[in-house]
Amino acid sequence: MTDSLGLLGVDQAELDSCVACGLCLPHCPTYRVTGADTHSPRGRIALMRVVDEGIAPLSDEIVESFDSCIQCRACETACPGDVPFGHLLEATKEFVETTQRRAPWWLKLGLRGLTRPRLLRFVSSSLAVAQRLRLVPSRRMGIPERLPVRRRALRPTGDDVWLFTGCVMDAWQRDVHLATKEVVEATGTTVRPTGDAAPCCGALHTHAGLGDDARKLAARVISALDGDNAILVNSAGCGAALKDYGRLLDSDEARAFSERVLDVHEWLADRIDQIEMPDAQARTGGRVAIQDPCHVRHVQGTHMAVRRVLEPFVSELVELDDEGMCCGAGGAFSLVQRQLALDVRDRKTAAIDRAEADVVVSANPGCSMHLAAAGHAVRHPVELIAEALRSR
Amino acid sequence: MRLGRRNRQGGARHDRTDRCVADLVGALGPERVRADGAARHLASADASMFSDGTAGPVCFPDSTEHVQAVMRVAASHDRAVLPRGAGSGLSGGAAPLGDPIVVSTTRMNRVLEVDAEDRVAWVQPGVVNLDLSRQVAPLGLHFAPDPSSQQVCTIGGNVANNSGGPHCLAYGVTSAHVLAVEVVLSSGEAVVLGGLDAEPSGYDLRGAFVGSEGMFGIATKIAVRLTPDPESIKTLLLSFDSVADAAATVGAVIASGLVPAAVEMMDQRCVAAVEDFVQAGYPREAAAVLLIEVDGLSRGVEADTRKVAEIGRAHGGNVRVAADEEERALLWKGRKSAFGAIARVAPDYYLHDTVVPRSKLVEVLKAVYEIVDRHDLVAVNVFHAGDGNLHPLLAYDSRQPGANERVAAAGQEILEVSLAVGGVLSGEHGIGVEKRDFMEFQFTAADLEQQALLRRSFDPHCRLNPGKVLPSAHSCADVASLSASRPDGVWG
Repeated sequence: MTDSLGLLGVDQAELDSCVACGLCLPHCPTYRVTGADTHSPRGRIALMRVVDEGIAPLSDEIVESFDSCIQCRACETACPGDVPFGHLLEATKEFVETTQRRAPWWLKLGLRGLTRPRLLRFVSSSLAVAQRLRLVPSRRMGIPERLPVRRRALRPTGDDVWLFTGCVMDAWQRDVHLATKEVVEATGTTVRPTGDAAPCCGALHTHAGLGDDARKLAARVISALDGDNAILVNSAGCGAALKDYGRLLDSDEARAFSERVLDVHEWLADRIDQIEMPDAQARTGGRVAIQDPCHVRHVQGTHMAVRRVLEPFVSELVELDDEGMCCGAGGAFSLVQRQLALDVRDRKTAAIDRAEADVVVSANPGCSMHLAAAGHAVRHPVELIAEALRSR
Repeated sequence: MRLGRRNRQGGARHDRTDRCVADLVGALGPERVRADGAARHLASADASMFSDGTAGPVCFPDSTEHVQAVMRVAASHDRAVLPRGAGSGLSGGAAPLGDPIVVSTTRMNRVLEVDAEDRVAWVQPGVVNLDLSRQVAPLGLHFAPDPSSQQVCTIGGNVANNSGGPHCLAYGVTSAHVLAVEVVLSSGEAVVLGGLDAEPSGYDLRGAFVGSEGMFGIATKIAVRLTPDPESIKTLLLSFDSVADAAATVGAVIASGLVPAAVEMMDQRCVAAVEDFVQAGYPREAAAVLLIEVDGLSRGVEADTRKVAEIGRAHGGNVRVAADEEERALLWKGRKSAFGAIARVAPDYYLHDTVVPRSKLVEVLKAVYEIVDRHDLVAVNVFHAGDGNLHPLLAYDSRQPGANERVAAAGQEILEVSLAVGGVLSGEHGIGVEKRDFMEFQFTAADLEQQALLRRSFDPHCRLNPGKVLPSAHSCADVASLSASRPDGVWG
């Protein structure tokens, strides 16, 4: 084995670690809905190989195979050989983007907007007003049907921990940040929201193959959040991205930064006995189904912490029977691969219906919006906890 | 037979294919036919390292009618047809020879009907083995054949290979669990073989079809028997200081009259690889471990568990009984991931499959290690010890000069040793291309001629999966030319 780079520029040893056994196939949401090997992790790796070795050109069909990946990374959980599929695909997408510049202009424009918080909030509020005036075809644009016109202020209470607020989530789901802050403070900890200093984690840029943008954003976030304090994240995708800065930038500083990042549930799970528990009547939510965002379950592996933290606060917690299958949101995936995203969501919807739940919890803004658009009542786990705490 | 990384050559052969693709698209619709290089390249191999041909157009039928339509188009263009499930086979059964039209069954993935009272389900061939068991679990039923690849392999593929699995020791292999099959023949006609009655009259053509490796027809609906879940299950993990002690324990357990649901063995290297993945607490220091499962009524299971444990200890084994369902599932996850976990040892693997009499296990295992060492390869052993079904995994790097040849030579020697002690060519992976040229080691010319006659009576034009199973002298296909002249590649 060597670490040499082939034409595709991905790590050869990583590519070789796949023996093509196929155990990933049933865990891949796109293979599940299309049954096509081109939509499977094993197939995508085989296509990376032929491009890497110069046997095949980077044809439309091969690029489609890569682009059709939601990057949920369920295949990594399933893989007995620990193939770093997510990393391979990110590197591949970056190669495709640098050599062919295929990302649609509106996606690139949108992603650039994420890094400018004031502009983002202005556009978001304008959209919200336009929605009230019925001027925007929200469903067709793939955005939530009722964006907030105003946001309640998110004020720091001290410096014990950072709360990473991010981009879209801060503009569209500020209430989740408020609830997170409330729950974290209930453990006797003070919170400083990261706000506009660290505007965007760059996860969506990495997923789209815009590696340079992602690395610039990572450097910006790291320099904005210096010190040793823990950085708590309530968005699965952002958490996974921040924890990966060490690898992305390959520097000691970045690795030290990533060590400080915690999914908010994993942080809370260690401090749950510092919170005064509600009595049974105060538990909320009715029958609550847990939908694990893939970047919680398959990337950060913090899904059990979500259960530990949530269980004491809700009336009834139920599992979906789909083994943590992706919901199809995938950050910007649901915008660029509309049909696939909907087909994958249909499976999730069926699982949610089978669970006969009153409400679904999901700790990721992309998933919650994608599921809400299918008519499900979706909340963030910390919102239910905050409600239970309020009614103590 | 060529052993090595899959075919990646370039070239073009357009006209003939274009007309055929147009007819397929006309019959199935554009969304069910892929003729591009990416789709064809990926359909050109299964999970084995055997690959001599290149997939032609890849079709994704939804229904029996679609499969019939493909078969008629194939006939009109005189093209071969290759059925494909999940592509998890290990003998090259779904790896094309020549450039056949590939019929992928992955979209025929519906459980059509479940009769809980009669314990029968009608399923489409693309239903994933484990999905079926999960779906009928609320009824207290499951589909008994459980290949290690059960989370990915399809029922259609199980039927084609008459697949086994750990629990087939007590419950029997796939054929015992298939009551009837709707088959599309190479003529395009759909027929039902077998039936739901206890004793269908006439010849057992269903029995002939199960295990026919895609050469008799394409199964489009399968009536499978569902097995009630046992009242109680206990899984024991026994570890030993020597492979011989483990093998002797297997013999003693069976000799005692017990019929465990499963008796699996893994050697030290295998344990290390799977433990790295599952962290189930497999003992890395043991030379060999046995995973033995007993099931049935609670009291009997308790008695059997004690008995197995006693026999194990008498042979110097350490015994651990899985405390709960979670621990049990984790142990099995380890066992069933072994072939993929091999990636931790080397980038390529050849998973062998032979069967030897249980009494010869120790002797043959010793020979396997010797053969593999001599060829400078790494052997990892993981197998169904209860029925003597060996699965030596040869780990290697195909890019090392001569590695492929050494693997092929070692593979053949292992076969010869197995046959010499009264074993057979294959336990459950099928013959495919892998063992085709060794069929003459086990069968006489007359045997093989009868098998060829049976094949021709189902598929007189030799259209379905040509060149597999039967060696050149007895095959209706021109095996030598199919294997020697690779068709033009997919990247044109």
